[in-house]
Amino acid sequence: MKSSPIGLLVAVALGIFPAQSWAAGKGKAAAAKDSKGAAAASATVDADAAPAADATTTPAAGADAAAAGGDAAGDTGDEGGSETPGGSGLEDICKIDPAACPNLDMDKEAARPLKEQIFAVQQAYALRVRRLELQLGWSFSLNDQFVSHPAPVLALNYYITNVLAIGLNGAYYAPFNVDKSFNGQVRRAARVSVPLTEYQWAAALNFTYVPAYGKFAGFGDFIFHYDAYVVGGVGAISVRPIPVIDPDNRNFSFEPKLAFNAGIGLRIFFNRWFAAVMEVRDYVFNDKLENLTPGVGAQASNKATWYGETSLTNNVQAQVGAAIFLPFSFDYRLPK
Amino acid sequence: MTTTKQKTFKRLVSVLAAALALFAFTEHAQAQQILLTGPLAGAPAVRKLRLHRQGRFEFAPAVSFTLLDEYQRTILLGARLNYNFTDWLAFGAWGALGSAIRIPTYLTDQVQAVNASRRTPAADPNSLDRRLTAVNLGPDFKKQLAGIDWVVAPQLTAVPFRGKLALFQSIYLDTDLYFFGGPAFVGLTERKNCGSAGEASCAGNYDTTQRMAIAPTFGLGFTFYINKWSALGFEYRGLPFSWNTGGFDTAGSGKDKKFPDNKITNDDRQFNFNQLLTVSYNIYLPFQYRVSE
Repeated sequence: MKSSPIGLLVAVALGIFPAQSWAAGKGKAAAAKDSKGAAAASATVDADAAPAADATTTPAAGADAAAAGGDAAGDTGDEGGSETPGGSGLEDICKIDPAACPNLDMDKEAARPLKEQIFAVQQAYALRVRRLELQLGWSFSLNDQFVSHPAPVLALNYYITNVLAIGLNGAYYAPFNVDKSFNGQVRRAARVSVPLTEYQWAAALNFTYVPAYGKFAGFGDFIFHYDAYVVGGVGAISVRPIPVIDPDNRNFSFEPKLAFNAGIGLRIFFNRWFAAVMEVRDYVFNDKLENLTPGVGAQASNKATWYGETSLTNNVQAQVGAAIFLPFSFDYRLPK
Repeated sequence: MTTTKQKTFKRLVSVLAAALALFAFTEHAQAQQILLTGPLAGAPAVRKLRLHRQGRFEFAPAVSFTLLDEYQRTILLGARLNYNFTDWLAFGAWGALGSAIRIPTYLTDQVQAVNASRRTPAADPNSLDRRLTAVNLGPDFKKQLAGIDWVVAPQLTAVPFRGKLALFQSIYLDTDLYFFGGPAFVGLTERKNCGSAGEASCAGNYDTTQRMAIAPTFGLGFTFYINKWSALGFEYRGLPFSWNTGGFDTAGSGKDKKFPDNKITNDDRQFNFNQLLTVSYNIYLPFQYRVSE
C-alpha cells in the first residue's frame, strides 16, 4: 500500500512526460519569451531557427516573428520527440553505417554566420491570390457642395496575383440625391442659377493594385493587419440635369456617360477573410449641363434647347464598407 | 398600452436581449481563445519597438487645404509643435496662416460673371435683378467673401496605433495612426454687419471686418517615419463653426428667422463643417529615439 502512491506518481509522471516534451518541442511560448532558449533548441536542428532570432531583432515584428520562431522550434520538437523514445538510435546508425553517422562540430556550427533572408513583414496576413473579394459599402460625395450623391456600392474583384485584381463595381444613386438648401439660398441672394446634376447609377470595370501592406499594434496590446490599394477603371455613369432654370418646361431623362475612375483605398483585416474598407475614388465624366437661358414660346418645350455647355465633372466619392474574401481559407506558399 | 402593443414590446425587448447576449458571448469567447490557446500568451504584442515619439519634441511645418468650399478655397501655411510625453500621448498646438493663398471656386466666378454683366454701363441700374441683389452683391463679389486668416489650435494627441508598412516589398516604414482634438481659435475676415439700428445701410456697403471664432477641432492622421528624426504626415481635420461665407443676407426674419431681412447680421452665419487636409514634414528632437524592451 505504501508503495502505491509512488507507483501512482510514476504513472502520472510517465503520462505527463510525452506531453511536456511535445510542448517544449512546439516551443512557441518559449521562443517568444526566451530567445536564448529558442536558439539553443535550434542548434540541434538547423536554419529554421533563424526566425526565432528575428523575434528579438526585428522591431515591431514581435507577434509574427515570434510565431515564425515558434514554428521553427516546433520542428525541433517533432524530431527530438521521435528520437528520444528510441534512446540510442543515433549510436545504432553509427555502428551500422559509420559513413552515415552525423559528425558535426557543434561549436563550429553555432559560430557559423546565419545568412537567412529576413523579410521586414513576415508573411502577409491574408493572401489575396486566386480569391474573390466581395465589397459592400456606402459612398458619399466629397466635392459636390450643391447636390450630395450618397449611394450603396457593390464591388467584385478577382485577384489574379496577390497584388493585382480585375473586377466590377456599381453604385445606385437614384433615390438618394440631395439638392441642398444652399442652392436655393444662392439663387435667392444673387439671382444666379447654377446648373445641377443628379446621378442614377454607375458601373465600371476596374483593375486594383495592392502596393502596400502592413500591420498596426493597437494600444501596444493587439495587432491588426491592413493593406492599401490603388484602383482605376472605365465604365459608365447615368446622369441628368436637375431643372432649375425652367423647371416648368424642362424634364430631363437619365443618360449614361462614359466615365473613368481612379482611387485609393485602405483595407483593415479583422480576420483572414473579413475586412473593413475605406476608399476615395474620383469618377470623371463629361456632363451635359442645363442651358442657362430659358427658351421663349414654343422653344421652351423644344428638347434641343434644354442642354447648354458640356463640362468635365469630377465626382469624388468616399466609400466605407466591408470586404469578404472567398474562399475563406487559403494555402500559404510564399517564403517566410 | 393595449395587450397587442405590450406583446410586441415584450418581443422586441426579448429579441434585443438575445442579440445583446449573442454579441457579448462572441466577444467573450474570442478573448478566451487568445488567452487560453494563443502561443504567445503572456508575451507582449511588440518587442524592441522603436519609440519615435516618447520624450521628443515634434516640429512639423505643414500645408493645409480646405475641402468642400462654397466660394473660396484656402491653402494654409503653418506648423505643428508637440511634446510627446509618452509614445502614445502628446500635447502641443497647430497654427497656420490662411490669408496668403485663396482660390475662388467655379461658383464664385459664375456669380461674379453674372454680377459684372448687370453692372455694365449699358445695363439698367434699376433692373429687377439689381434691386433684388442690392444688399447681397457688391461690384466685386470676390472682395466680400469670408476667409480664414489664421488658426491657432492647442491640442491633445493620442497615438493608439503603431505599426509598419511594406511598400512594393522593398520600402519599409514605421507608421502610426493618431487622433487629436482641442479648441481652435480662428481669425476670420467676414462681411461687416449692416442695416441694423446704428449701422450703415447694406446697399452700397460691402466692407469686410475681422473677428475671432472659437470652435472645436479634431481629426486623425498618419505618420510615416522616414528615418530616426523625420517623418511625413497626412492629417484630416474637422473645424466646425458658423460663418457667412458669401456675405449674403440669407436669414433673420420670418419663421425660425430663415428668410432674408435686408440686413447682414449674425443670423446670416451658416453652420459649416469645415474640413482640411494637411501634409506635413515632421522633425523630431532629439534626433535619436529610444527602443522598448
